[in-house]
Amino acid sequence: MVKLTINGIELEAPQGELIVETVKRLGLEIPVFCYHPRMKAVGMCRMCLVETGFKQPDGSVRMMPKPQAGCTLPASEGLVVVTDSEAIHRDRKGVLEFLLINHPLDCPICDRGGECPLQNNTMAYGPSTTRFIEMKRHLPKAFPLSQYVTLDLERCIQCGRCVRFTEEISGDSDLAFRFRGAEMQPSTFQLTDFESRFSGNVIEICPVGALTSAKYRFRARPWDLETSPGVCTECSNGCNVWFDHRAGKQVRINGRANDGVNEEWTCDKGKFGHDWYNSTSRLTKPLVRRGDQFVPASWSEAYEEILAAFADKGGKVAGLTGPRVSNEGLFLFKRLFSEAFGSDNVDHRWRSGPVPTGPVPRPLPIASLESKRHILVFGTHLAEDLPIVHLRVRKAWSQSGATVDVAYSAANEVERFAKASLRCRPGAEAALAKCLLGEAVWSGKATVSDAVRAELAGFNADSAEEKSGVSGATVRAAAARLGEGAVVLTSDRLLDAPEPPSAWKSLKALAEATGSEFVCYPTGTNAAGAELLGLVPDHGLSTWQILEGCKDGKIEALWLVEADPSSTHDAALETVPFLVYQGTLENEAMAYASVVLPMAAPAEQDGTWTNCEGRVQRFRQAIAPPGEAKPAWRVFAECLLRARPSTPFFNPGEVMEEIARVHPVFAPAQYSLLPEEGALVARESLVGEPAGGGG
Amino acid sequence: MPETKLLFEHAHDPQFRTLDGYLAKGGYQGLKKALGMDRQAVIDQVKASGLRGRGGAGFPTWIKWNGIEKEKKNPHYLICNADEGEPGTFKDKQLMEQTPFLLIEGMTIAGYATQADAGYIYIRGEFVDAARSLRQAIDQAYVQGYLGKNILGSGYDLDLYIHMGAGSYECGEESALMSSLMGERGMPRLKFPHAPLPTVAGLWDKPTVINNVETYACAPFILDRGGEWYATLGASTKNSRGTKLFSVSGHVNKPGNYEIEFGTTLVELLDMAGGIKGGKLKACIPGGSSVPIMTAEQVEKAVIGYEELWDDYKTMVGSGGCMFFNEHTCIVSLIWRTAQFYAMESCGKCTPCREGTKWMLQILDRIVRGHGQKGDMDLLLDVTKQIDGRSFCGLGDAAAWPVAGAIRAFPEEFEHFIEHGRSMVQSEEAKAMAPRWAQPAFSH
Repeated sequence: MVKLTINGIELEAPQGELIVETVKRLGLEIPVFCYHPRMKAVGMCRMCLVETGFKQPDGSVRMMPKPQAGCTLPASEGLVVVTDSEAIHRDRKGVLEFLLINHPLDCPICDRGGECPLQNNTMAYGPSTTRFIEMKRHLPKAFPLSQYVTLDLERCIQCGRCVRFTEEISGDSDLAFRFRGAEMQPSTFQLTDFESRFSGNVIEICPVGALTSAKYRFRARPWDLETSPGVCTECSNGCNVWFDHRAGKQVRINGRANDGVNEEWTCDKGKFGHDWYNSTSRLTKPLVRRGDQFVPASWSEAYEEILAAFADKGGKVAGLTGPRVSNEGLFLFKRLFSEAFGSDNVDHRWRSGPVPTGPVPRPLPIASLESKRHILVFGTHLAEDLPIVHLRVRKAWSQSGATVDVAYSAANEVERFAKASLRCRPGAEAALAKCLLGEAVWSGKATVSDAVRAELAGFNADSAEEKSGVSGATVRAAAARLGEGAVVLTSDRLLDAPEPPSAWKSLKALAEATGSEFVCYPTGTNAAGAELLGLVPDHGLSTWQILEGCKDGKIEALWLVEADPSSTHDAALETVPFLVYQGTLENEAMAYASVVLPMAAPAEQDGTWTNCEGRVQRFRQAIAPPGEAKPAWRVFAECLLRARPSTPFFNPGEVMEEIARVHPVFAPAQYSLLPEEGALVARESLVGEPAGGGG
Repeated sequence: MPETKLLFEHAHDPQFRTLDGYLAKGGYQGLKKALGMDRQAVIDQVKASGLRGRGGAGFPTWIKWNGIEKEKKNPHYLICNADEGEPGTFKDKQLMEQTPFLLIEGMTIAGYATQADAGYIYIRGEFVDAARSLRQAIDQAYVQGYLGKNILGSGYDLDLYIHMGAGSYECGEESALMSSLMGERGMPRLKFPHAPLPTVAGLWDKPTVINNVETYACAPFILDRGGEWYATLGASTKNSRGTKLFSVSGHVNKPGNYEIEFGTTLVELLDMAGGIKGGKLKACIPGGSSVPIMTAEQVEKAVIGYEELWDDYKTMVGSGGCMFFNEHTCIVSLIWRTAQFYAMESCGKCTPCREGTKWMLQILDRIVRGHGQKGDMDLLLDVTKQIDGRSFCGLGDAAAWPVAGAIRAFPEEFEHFIEHGRSMVQSEEAKAMAPRWAQPAFSH
């Protein structure tokens, strides 16, 4: 800690802390454009100029002749900073005047108008009139950087945030400055497409309206928008987002800060992938089949038909859910089947391979990846499957100096910063895992049981080339890097590979034998919640057995929740006598249904979601469901009530209380206790019992 | 004082460009003495000499050399800033072409004193002849053991590399030069107090000494004849020691590089260059285009020295690009041309320089086209104040000074141009110097 003086206030700050942050802690503000707390400070825009001096040994203060940039100035002993003098106000005004002379000032038609840092700073510190009578800079107004991001070069103030984002955070370095001086402009190389999985973030960090979303452009003014804190449900990362809506329609997704999960970033799937909320294919009314067509029905009619087909049918009925169902819905689904229908045939797992058995250690929190020495990413296309985990792994490499190896059968983004890429042949993941384990064992780095040792005969670095297509030297080096402080990271995509149990088992053994940690993140939105809530058959049929059972007549009625196996199992759907399809959108599976139930989307209901690291997060209702669509949990609760009169659940909070009673790990997730950033719930396993069969 | 030949004593002798010729004229005596000395003693000699950076800022050289860690934990680097781009300056070009061994020997001495592993000579891209001359000299030095492993049996190793710039004025700024050398966009980096000094974390974040060509070229003399002897040169000035190369150009009869002792007057320098041509003396830019302009009256009395020029005339020795102008020079169009240069060369990193240089050019452009407005002078001065000291690196200051300096020194010329829409200087000579589109402002 060092002692410094800011505006006459003496305080202590950690050595090296940037003055802009110190000032923020004081509750004061230094205006900025180029500075972003999650990126390296560059001091380009000069908006943050402050007067600076140093205390001399005799107690006097020697001021520096020139103002200094507050965003790059580190706190040091005896530093004296003045942020609020006449000279500084003049400097801020000067910088703003410079920024505005070539800015088009088309705020009335600019998407950023109303939430624009340039507008705000101008209102607070800028000149009210212009002295500029020359021709302004004229440049392309709506240049499509990609199908998602539109660039207005006239509005750009060359702060470099977007360029630095692609260099420092996403790592694709797709943007750079071209030309120099007043002509300088951000651009992609030779105007190719801005191809980044994280391109949407640059729209949010742009301090002016230069980078706008092609999807949101001209669709709303910020003051017309309502916003609700939400959770992205496009994958299992559970990124925190602001769900912006207008007149009951989703219009925009912005990142919301949560240091444990997404910091404040979003991936493009999350940012631009929510248009289905407004799709014309949304289901809005319950439908029942009459002959070869659907007839709109009331919920009561639909429930009656369903109960007639399902109630007390025991093992002859089954239910399968997709990943996009809240914890409350999943819990009641299982309860509905066990209590009202007497069936244990419920499952949520859709990976093609059987899932291996055995306890899995508790998944590592995403944020903890930052502190690891080494990360081996195995058998998963990380940026595709778990984009935000990918950013953390990259951050561990770029900021904490961790080394990263990647083993996957195709080109992927981790290779850009990985120390070694173990590009194996497609399908050779199991062999590669065994070779790595073999190498660790034969080199004396790891010890395993004799049984495992016998299985490893012939698998080592020397045979890796032949067995997996990865060179022996690479395997040897990759195995050597494992050990204390290392993590073997995979996702359930590994289970799509041939011989999943073998790959998974060898990988887990590799981690354990070398003293590394092992983590397998599920990829389905709420797959982790489904595992924790036990949405797997205890002794009944699993996913593939259920679908096979439909074909050979063992299953007489099937209930699909947000799941569509029609591309692989259309025969099963065609054969089963009674099919309930419950979902948000029309799809193929619906064609085979006897009853269709419209479902509310995540933002249209209250509920909690469990992300891949086991963090339970609340998503509050933002907009009303379309038509008569209902949240899944309410449908199950109502069915349950009709089948077995009992105390009803009136709201999801009550369901969560019941969940916490049955599954004590969920105790911290009760609505009254759940913090804004979510709660990590403890558990033994996220990927558990085998689904059996094979797809 | 007459011209003093030290660096340029043998500049016109072609043999001096070969190692044998250089040795025959007493070359490498400085290095031999240095290698026999303690490293700190070498730095002490430079300290005693009072040598200051010849690139423009005049920073004491020994402080840079002394700032490198003494207990070597990292690789140390040496950079020679040979990106001589300041308009009006061409001394380093001649030094590298005609006396390459002075630079090489000087760098070797600096390298020895700072335990450098490698030295990079960053040469302006257009200086092909200089690079070729230097290349040949470096090759010869390697062959005879003056570079490479175990230099002259001392156990000290140094490799020198030549790197050609790609045509950016900004890359002559030391931190932008390092960015460029590392393969990044040539933009300046954070400096003290925002980041450590280059002597702590410079090139590739390793301790680095960066000096101008002329600065290094002084080192052999300092080591050979002693720092105290060197300090006798220019002893009449407050704190400027040794000789300085001045590139004299403009309206003079014998333009070229002249070596003078500090303490010489500007009039003496003008006389060396054959006196003013085509009329009376009107103005002088003493240290390269970025320093404020002086009037003829000021030139009469001015003594050349870092403090002398600054204290009395608020102008600088700079890089020594001394330009004299005769009475037919239109100061407004001269400054328009200067502003155009800085607007084109601004790297674009910081707001004041990026926007301010362009704006100044636009205003001056309008004035020279005859559309000046009342208040333009105040506006120009305001803009220079908003740039000066607010920009990220010195380029902003360098762009603001000449404009502000010219308005202060020749206010009547600006007033006249704005009021009448035409230049105060009406002559065929002035018209010939003006750009074609601005010639209406010079017609009778």
